[in-house]
Amino acid sequence: MATAPGVATPEEYVGDTLAREQTSLWADAWRRLRRNRLALVSTFILLLLVVVAIVSAFWTPFPIWRQSVGPTYDPPSLHHLLGTDQRGRDIFSRLMVGAQVSLQVGVGTQIIVAALGITVGLLAGYFRGWLDGIISTIINIFYGIPDLLVALILVLLLGRGLDKIIFAIAVTRWMDMARLVRGQTFALREREFVEAARASGTRPNKILSRHILPNALGPIIVQATFGVPQAILFEAFLSFLGLGVQPPTPSWGAMAADGFHALRIAPHIVLVPAIALSLTLMAFNFLGDGLRDALDPRQKR
Amino acid sequence: MLSRRALIYLGERLVLVAFTAVAVSSIVFLGVHQLPGNAFLSDRRIDPVALQAIMHHYHLDLSLFDQYKLFVSGILRGDLGESLVNRGIPITPLLLREATVSLEVGAAALIFTIGLGMVLGVIAAIKQNSWIDYLATATSVVGYSMPNFVIATVLVLIFAVYLYNWSGGAIYYEIGWNGTYGTLGQISIPAFALGFPYASIVARLTRASMLEVLRQDYIRTAKAKGLSDRIVIIRHALRNALIPVVTILGPLTIGIITGSVVIENVFGIPGLGKEFVQSILSRDYNIVIGVFTFYALAIGLANLLVDFLYTAIDPRIRY
Amino acid sequence: MTAPVLQVKDLKTQFFTDDGVVKAVDGVSFDLHPGETLGIVGESGCGKSVTALSILRLVQEPGRITNGQILFKGTDIVTMPDDDVRDIRGKDIAMIFQDPLSSLNPVLKVGYQIEEAMEAHTRISGKVALSRAIQLLKQVRIPAAESRVEDYPHQFSGGMRQRAMIAMGLANKPSILIADEPTTALDVTVQAQILELLRDLNQETKTAIILITHNMGVVAGLCKRVLVMYAGRIVEQGPVEQIFHDPQHPYTWSLLQSIPRLDADRKDRLLSIEGLPPDLIKPPSGCRFHPRCRFRIERCFHDDPSLMDVGPDQAAACWVTMRRALAQDGQARA
Repeated sequence: MATAPGVATPEEYVGDTLAREQTSLWADAWRRLRRNRLALVSTFILLLLVVVAIVSAFWTPFPIWRQSVGPTYDPPSLHHLLGTDQRGRDIFSRLMVGAQVSLQVGVGTQIIVAALGITVGLLAGYFRGWLDGIISTIINIFYGIPDLLVALILVLLLGRGLDKIIFAIAVTRWMDMARLVRGQTFALREREFVEAARASGTRPNKILSRHILPNALGPIIVQATFGVPQAILFEAFLSFLGLGVQPPTPSWGAMAADGFHALRIAPHIVLVPAIALSLTLMAFNFLGDGLRDALDPRQKR
Repeated sequence: MLSRRALIYLGERLVLVAFTAVAVSSIVFLGVHQLPGNAFLSDRRIDPVALQAIMHHYHLDLSLFDQYKLFVSGILRGDLGESLVNRGIPITPLLLREATVSLEVGAAALIFTIGLGMVLGVIAAIKQNSWIDYLATATSVVGYSMPNFVIATVLVLIFAVYLYNWSGGAIYYEIGWNGTYGTLGQISIPAFALGFPYASIVARLTRASMLEVLRQDYIRTAKAKGLSDRIVIIRHALRNALIPVVTILGPLTIGIITGSVVIENVFGIPGLGKEFVQSILSRDYNIVIGVFTFYALAIGLANLLVDFLYTAIDPRIRY
Repeated sequence: MTAPVLQVKDLKTQFFTDDGVVKAVDGVSFDLHPGETLGIVGESGCGKSVTALSILRLVQEPGRITNGQILFKGTDIVTMPDDDVRDIRGKDIAMIFQDPLSSLNPVLKVGYQIEEAMEAHTRISGKVALSRAIQLLKQVRIPAAESRVEDYPHQFSGGMRQRAMIAMGLANKPSILIADEPTTALDVTVQAQILELLRDLNQETKTAIILITHNMGVVAGLCKRVLVMYAGRIVEQGPVEQIFHDPQHPYTWSLLQSIPRLDADRKDRLLSIEGLPPDLIKPPSGCRFHPRCRFRIERCFHDDPSLMDVGPDQAAACWVTMRRALAQDGQARA
């Protein structure tokens, strides 16, 4: 289940496979995923988004920062495909660059979250005892505080660069991954192949990287897929509140906030980034659902 | 009503809530005070003598340890200090008033979230695999994929623009309100936008837990007694299905608080969330700390309420 | 003899699953007389529980009664409107289930769950219902019934929970009580107590009891007559003593052989029935028991036997019957 920010739903299911079954598992998963139309459409939308983001790095129809490339509040037309905003900037161009920001935030945070969450989760799940006690307590404390507010304060303390925002979001949203990996490790370390490796004197770091991590990969991928839209949503909230990336870099959240005051005369200024944002989030959530069903058929709703 | 044991438990938990609130605000306090002292004053062009006076007024000239001591002793008396921007304005009464505004909207959103979520979830579960079920499931994916400000925008567009034009002004919605508290009509749209993403989550959870409960043996027993389907669902299934839903009430409260920060700014609701963003933008650190303390208290109390709800719903759970 | 209170005629209940149609009950017929104690025995999955659930039309999707009649005092339950079935449930025909912990609602008081059974069918005040619930708990020998009535299921022991279930079943003085594996989840000593209770209640209240179990010993402890089911069919029926003494179907015979007996010679090997219960989506051809039968003959492979009289009141669906099989065995050995 994907969650809106703040509501945590643990997905502590276990990737129940031996290493030698891996190849067939991935092949099976791919076959199941291909049959899921929603997930396929979502994948297509997301690929398109990636292409747009890459293209926007080199070319946009109009320079995004230049004001008055057209009249202000102009509705969508042939010249300006998605219209212009309150400063006469081309919305289509800004939307393209916004995709870049959203993807950077989404993927960037998940890389940090994965690095932090997997490490912490593996350690807690494998060594248990006092280490697990401390880590679990920290996880629970983080769950108990409103993530967006902490991120806001972090942005206040650190500043508004893209890297700082990514850091701020990752710091407040790493717990789901850590908890998942911890649960997986907990279950996997009891399995025969891990016992065997331990009995033959394999060192913990090798057991974790060779035996446990590969077997927990499926759920980790699913979790990361659900984590991306959460991070994007988060950045949109920050930008919407005026605390996201520094203008004039366009962000979908900031674009929506800009247009809100002109809702009556030019609703397209809000609607365009709002729809882009919702579509992207939906695509990630459907893909996550599809991946989960594909990688763990027993979890099916 | 409440047994002696329950009262003692309540007391212990209240102390814990207060302790947590102090701890949380301490962390924010210490984090914020890593910044250099004069960052606390927005007015940079002030002359050194006056600056010194102001620094002194806010105890910013003291060592961090002494400032912290003053802060903790203040917070224990319920005094959160003075606003840095609007000098001389005490923070506690200001935030207390704003908290009641937020509470009004937040409570409306929470009631709406749980109500709609449970109704959708129960219907989807009873009519499993029917079109209602698919519609409810699809709605919930859309629900949690739409940022609340997008939902707010769409609603405002519909009610304040399209329906307004269509009905020639008979239907209207005013963004932002003039008084402190909103009317029922005014809070309806913010509460909807605030609650809808979470209603989706409640609906999914209720559906799953309802389906689980409907498979249980005691439901068969209830039917075997000759009870009507309606009574079986309301009396036997719903109450058991409620237990996992209560579990997410804590996270739900945090979610509503988080969402209210955005929604209050969209609709110009003079609550804690709007104050929080305003104080961050204007760098009024004292208020930032104060709002955080309030939120920590609210979350602690919500969790406490959840625990008591548990014992009320499930007789197997005792304090 | 009085008219039967319940007549089941050619009942078929099938489950329409993705893998195919499971013929869980496949043409079962029997009569139940007022005050009678009837046992239905068989391995798990033989259709005995589904038969019981069919009687009250409690079979869950994707299961459906596809054929037959269930006549309660002459009226067919199968074709009855839902509301009329609901009137019969718990009032005329009550049912108790295997696991009393999961069968009682954990969040409602035991007393309330008993009162509710009464209030579903009669208009009575809360006070009367309460005193009646206490009286029922006393009848099923629950000590301190006055205070226990306020307890929740988790505060009861396993045996007490099953007693409470029985009390609930008796609340409306039904003419039939269906007990589906009532002792399986309980300790051996408690099992005996529950059986004794059911026996006494049968005598006191003249309620007919259908006892469903996989355990021949439990049947012997309570029932006068027994049906043996295999793969959705009745394979043998008759008076309990006769069946125990002189079983004619090889399946019944194997079931009886598999009961451990203290008085048996230690050298006698404890027989268990080899093989798995048959696939009810594609049941075996001929006699359904033939793949596991030690005494099968050529005919069993393709010809499906129906119930034939093999003694006074005793019938078995078998081409061979134990009488002949054992005689042949003796000859072969000699």
